[in-house]
Amino acid sequence: MPLTRRRLGALTGATVLAGSAPTVLDSAWAAPAISSKKTPRYGGIAHLLRRTTYGATPALVHEVHKRGAEAWLEDQLHPHRVRDTEMDHLLKRWPSLERNTWQTRKHLSIGAWDTMFDLIDAHIAQAIWSKRQLFEIMVDFWSNHLNVTCPSSDVWDSRHVFDREVIRKHALGSFSEMLCATGRSPAMLNYLGNAQSTGKAPNENWGRELLELHTVGLGAKYSQKDVHNSALILSGLSVEPDSGAFLWAPWMHYVGHVKVLGFSSPNRSAAKGEAVAMDYLRYLAHHPDTARHLATKLATLFVSDTPPHALVTRLAATHRHHGTQIVPVLRELFASKEFAHAHGKKVRTPYEDFIATARVLRIRPPAHGTEGIRDLQWMTGSVGQPPMGWHAPNGYPDTAAAWSSTSATLGRWNAHISLAAQWWPTKLRYTKLATLVPKPLPKTYGHLIDGLVAALNVPALNVTQRAALTHFVGHKPSDRLVATDEAVGWRLPYLVALILDSSRQAER
Amino acid sequence: MTGDLPAQPPPPACECEGPGVSRRGFLGGAAGIAALGLVTGTGTLGSTQLAFAEQGHAGDVLVVVSLRGGFDGLSAVVPFGDPHWAGQRPNIGVPESQLHQVDSRFGLHPALAPLVPLWDAGQLAIVHAVGQQDPTMSHFEAMEEMERAAPGSSMRTGWIDRMAGVAGVGTPFAATSVGPATAPSSMSGTYPVTAMQSLASFSLAGASPDDVASWHTALRKLQHGAPAVVSAPARTTLAALNTAQSLSTVDYAPANGASYPKDDVGGSLSNVAQLIKAKVGLRVAAVDCGNWDMHVGLGSPTSGWMHDNLTGLGQALTAFAADLGTAMSNVVVVTLSEFGRRVMENDSGGLDHGHGNAVLVMGGGVKGGSVYGRWPGLADADLVLGNLAGTTDYRSILAELLETRCGLRATHVFPGLSSHRLGLTKPRT
Repeated sequence: MPLTRRRLGALTGATVLAGSAPTVLDSAWAAPAISSKKTPRYGGIAHLLRRTTYGATPALVHEVHKRGAEAWLEDQLHPHRVRDTEMDHLLKRWPSLERNTWQTRKHLSIGAWDTMFDLIDAHIAQAIWSKRQLFEIMVDFWSNHLNVTCPSSDVWDSRHVFDREVIRKHALGSFSEMLCATGRSPAMLNYLGNAQSTGKAPNENWGRELLELHTVGLGAKYSQKDVHNSALILSGLSVEPDSGAFLWAPWMHYVGHVKVLGFSSPNRSAAKGEAVAMDYLRYLAHHPDTARHLATKLATLFVSDTPPHALVTRLAATHRHHGTQIVPVLRELFASKEFAHAHGKKVRTPYEDFIATARVLRIRPPAHGTEGIRDLQWMTGSVGQPPMGWHAPNGYPDTAAAWSSTSATLGRWNAHISLAAQWWPTKLRYTKLATLVPKPLPKTYGHLIDGLVAALNVPALNVTQRAALTHFVGHKPSDRLVATDEAVGWRLPYLVALILDSSRQAER
Repeated sequence: MTGDLPAQPPPPACECEGPGVSRRGFLGGAAGIAALGLVTGTGTLGSTQLAFAEQGHAGDVLVVVSLRGGFDGLSAVVPFGDPHWAGQRPNIGVPESQLHQVDSRFGLHPALAPLVPLWDAGQLAIVHAVGQQDPTMSHFEAMEEMERAAPGSSMRTGWIDRMAGVAGVGTPFAATSVGPATAPSSMSGTYPVTAMQSLASFSLAGASPDDVASWHTALRKLQHGAPAVVSAPARTTLAALNTAQSLSTVDYAPANGASYPKDDVGGSLSNVAQLIKAKVGLRVAAVDCGNWDMHVGLGSPTSGWMHDNLTGLGQALTAFAADLGTAMSNVVVVTLSEFGRRVMENDSGGLDHGHGNAVLVMGGGVKGGSVYGRWPGLADADLVLGNLAGTTDYRSILAELLETRCGLRATHVFPGLSSHRLGLTKPRT
């Protein structure tokens, strides 16, 4: 049965019985095409929030209802407009991330991984607690698109600078500028071997990945000769050994005519080689195949594992029309009918599922320090997807089939119970699970489940799923619930974990 | 199309298939899952063993032991017969008199004495001076490249993933890593591998033996109505959990008096032996045996870091072979390390990163008792930056195991690899 074909009967109860919880069961949870004549904007608020946040709490749903979906989304697309004071304060716990490479070198012994682990901590913290949720999703997206594996030893002193100056700076800006920034980023230049590349002995690694992964994509019509020329153009973009800073090294640059796809340059002097390289990067950023490649990946992220052809074509046109600006593409994507009809077409990756769990359980950062957050980082390893940790330049896969292993599934389930039962990490501030139970106490076990499902903002369960949960605590849905029952006592964490294990919660 | 998830998702956006290789021909992402769903769907939780029976894989189980950190093959298999060996390691070298000499050129470290009976029985072979095509002395790069095993191509997958793909749809245990929380890069790709820290820990947290059945029931029903792409992995996981539980709830008693060392590699290999005996469809297993990065204080031939590590490794391999007994005729074990170490010792009583290395190959189908590979020599002119040269591409060893012992074609697993093989295995009978 398709995810969107909900059982209305099982749902109506949830709205009513959520009691004092904000009304979450609006038109958004209904399958628009089935239950109403007109598809609501963005396919409904719940759908919009499932795709543009790492998991919405009822409070957030309520807030967006009050503010209006369009206004909320515009704010998300302009993250500087979103006040995020608590996150700003929390980030001060990682002073290492504010350092430049030479400062990092001064603070740490050579090759230390501390700052890279700090960066992952901060990435996770922002995914969970930042109010700029869409921005964080895009940061993660670009971190994968332009993957520089973190941690990896050759970027121990520069990976966080890459995050700050390349990814975060341009995540909702211009793709062309982001790409040019990679060309002056020691992390990328070291990671893909360009720092050592010379006109005489070109290292084709970055030259190839730039075409294959970062811009026009594997299907584009470039040849090995193009790859070679790509490397020649990029030669000279290097790293200053002592400071670790970006270095334009004219003596390493290839001089002479170069041509890749439709780009060519006489490239007559080493002195002007950097400008040629930047022209080349800008050319690639604007290329129609790049537009299509990025449109496909964004539509895969937000719409479906099989992104609709027509949508991809429109998004690609927008990318070019707006000079590679990212926001207009996203705005068009979210407003599209394909997005509105994309209910149930995406499955959360293990990392997203993990972050969503922390969010819906309303776990808060530790009062002091970052130890609890570091433990969350280890847990993302246990679910098989530590952020930025994909070992190859192509970044984590983003389709359901790629995450179908038994260990990924078991990792998810075990993370749910660990966080719900508040076993681990110990050094976080947890919200008492009892606050998820509707007040006054629901009359039946079935209603208890409905209330918990609503409080966790999990899409409504069908009758079989609902009964499975009441049976787990030894009752039929219609049995009367008493306040002393273990279902609202010591077994509550298990019940909550199982709700998070349901197939509905796996939906992005 | 309704709101359902597609039955056949496309390949990941940037998956590289490499020159002329269509992985999809072997295992389409969703097709594989759907098939797994069918496989497990036929068995109830009570008949897991039936559901996980071997499916058409008539080859050895391949066990890959990763010696992470840079294993010093020159301490393990000492080239005492090389005229330029003497004097390279005045403080940490093993004296010739303490070696177990396996031929006129090489001797085993005394800590590897437990392996001698396997050597004598012809179940253990050594390949020396093994290396990678594009050597690097960075742990990270060398490991990634070794596990990707496709130098010169932009292939993104790991070689075990490609091997599992060539072998076709299997059970959830077909490709299993035991030890680290996440599967190694060699298993990264489209084949759904299982990564477990141990059989015992491959379990539902929170479910006690009393109520594990009710957890399973609830988890199964919670998939009701979900698309296959979500429900099939969940059902498969439940079945796999059941199997792991049935194996780990009893105290495992290794056969034939085998005694595994109480360390990581001992525990992992004991789990692998259990999976093999339980016939749950294991085709390839990856285990880790780490802590070989001995820059400082390697120790003496009779005590210390290297001695203790080799003792553990030797005991674990010996116990594994003993435990499996005659079943070893269908199992082949290979050790790999990202690089070897410098020929000459450093001033800290240790060894810096090097290149050429020794590889152990163990199994019933191995033509053991011989050291394979061309020895490049240790004269200054024969060394590469002070390192033993690599004369055998490690992939040619793996390719031979795949072809001769596992019944698989290696062409798609190791693209571009030459057809040269050492001939260190017997064909399957």
